[in-house]
Amino acid sequence: MNQVNPLHIGALLLAIIAYLLFTLSSIKSELVEEQDAYVISEKVALELRGLKDVYGDTKRSESALSRLLAQPSIKSANLDVKKSKKSWKISTKSIDVKALDSLMGKILNGTYNIKELRIERLSETKASLMMEIVW
Amino acid sequence: MFTRFKRETQRVFLDAFAREKLEYESGKKLTLILSPALYWVKKVKLPVKSVREAKSLLPSLFEDELLAGEYSYYAYKTGEEFVLFAYEDKKILSLLQEREIAIADIDSIHFAQSEFEEFEGAIAVNEKQALKWQNGLLTLVPLGWIETHEALNLEALTLSSYTIKLQQFNHIVKSSSMVKIAALLVALIAVLAVETYIASAKKDAVALAREEIFSKYKLQSTMMQNESALKKYAKIHTQQNSLRKQIGEFLKLSLRTGETLTLIEFKNEKLFVTLEGISTSRYVTLVDELKKKGIKHTAKQNGERMTLEVKL
Repeated sequence: MNQVNPLHIGALLLAIIAYLLFTLSSIKSELVEEQDAYVISEKVALELRGLKDVYGDTKRSESALSRLLAQPSIKSANLDVKKSKKSWKISTKSIDVKALDSLMGKILNGTYNIKELRIERLSETKASLMMEIVW
Repeated sequence: MFTRFKRETQRVFLDAFAREKLEYESGKKLTLILSPALYWVKKVKLPVKSVREAKSLLPSLFEDELLAGEYSYYAYKTGEEFVLFAYEDKKILSLLQEREIAIADIDSIHFAQSEFEEFEGAIAVNEKQALKWQNGLLTLVPLGWIETHEALNLEALTLSSYTIKLQQFNHIVKSSSMVKIAALLVALIAVLAVETYIASAKKDAVALAREEIFSKYKLQSTMMQNESALKKYAKIHTQQNSLRKQIGEFLKLSLRTGETLTLIEFKNEKLFVTLEGISTSRYVTLVDELKKKGIKHTAKQNGERMTLEVKL
């Protein structure tokens, strides 16, 4: 014949509601955090991919440089090219100014990571060159 | 085997007028039979078929007879007629408290009306009163009005299935209101539970989409590593852009006849530029020109040689 006090039932229901409100609130804040993290991850991923494609892609950089150095106006300059896994060193003790203009125009307008560069004027028509491009 | 642990019951006639203390063995459950003094009863024919339908009419059927108070109702059908009851839970509960009967010890509660149908004569229930059938209703009459009576023997009764449950908490809130409030709270709980489930599912979906970004763009396992890599590449990008811009600015310098740019060197994140044939006055002019172009530099002059250093 014992009956449950309605106040106890009410208290239990209110406790469940309080628990659910707390859970919902924490899940919602976790959702907001997760959404923020998603936006940041996507932004970082897109930017990183873009920059990596430009400065970190060894194959792309090597093939572009090979094509550039194979151009007749530059090939005739007999550049000394030392290749390693991470960089190419291009140098010459004397290069014609026109060939130098052509080479540097393409290098500076391209997206190469120039680590070192030295161009010294030798005369009206000649200059020396040392350049290291890395990836 | 399931009845093995059932507590034994003791039958008790709950008499509002008895003065002696009720004694019952502890461990035994009580079957209470309510005295007619504890309820109102009617035996009527109603234009309804079921007891459920009749129950909805009970408050209005008793409306004229009852005094002000909180009443509960009960009904059962016998033949073509309905036997209708109205009782005050609070009054019965007070009496139980007065008699020191714990609610937990009560097994069931019956009306005397439904349990004494087999007896035709009068039955004495206390020193002054007896139960007696009058026009189909069991009533309490003074002992002096009847010539012969039997003693009350509850063990001889075959109990019916017509029992009631006392509403102990009607004084706090009405049952109907209680159900409405509880339904509202349960509905709120359901809404919150659904919303929690949806939010949780959304969170999982976003987490999964984030993991997909990592695999799609071949990111490293932690964001710290990726942010560090991005920082490194962003620095290279800024520096290379700056290098090209600065070289372009130096090549655009308006040099006069006899003035030549003899060296451009980029090393250790610094750009060095050497100009020859620069007089002191031209040195000042060129420094001003570079400042106007926004190139932060340090300049030195050694004879006609001007050296410039720009940190990238």
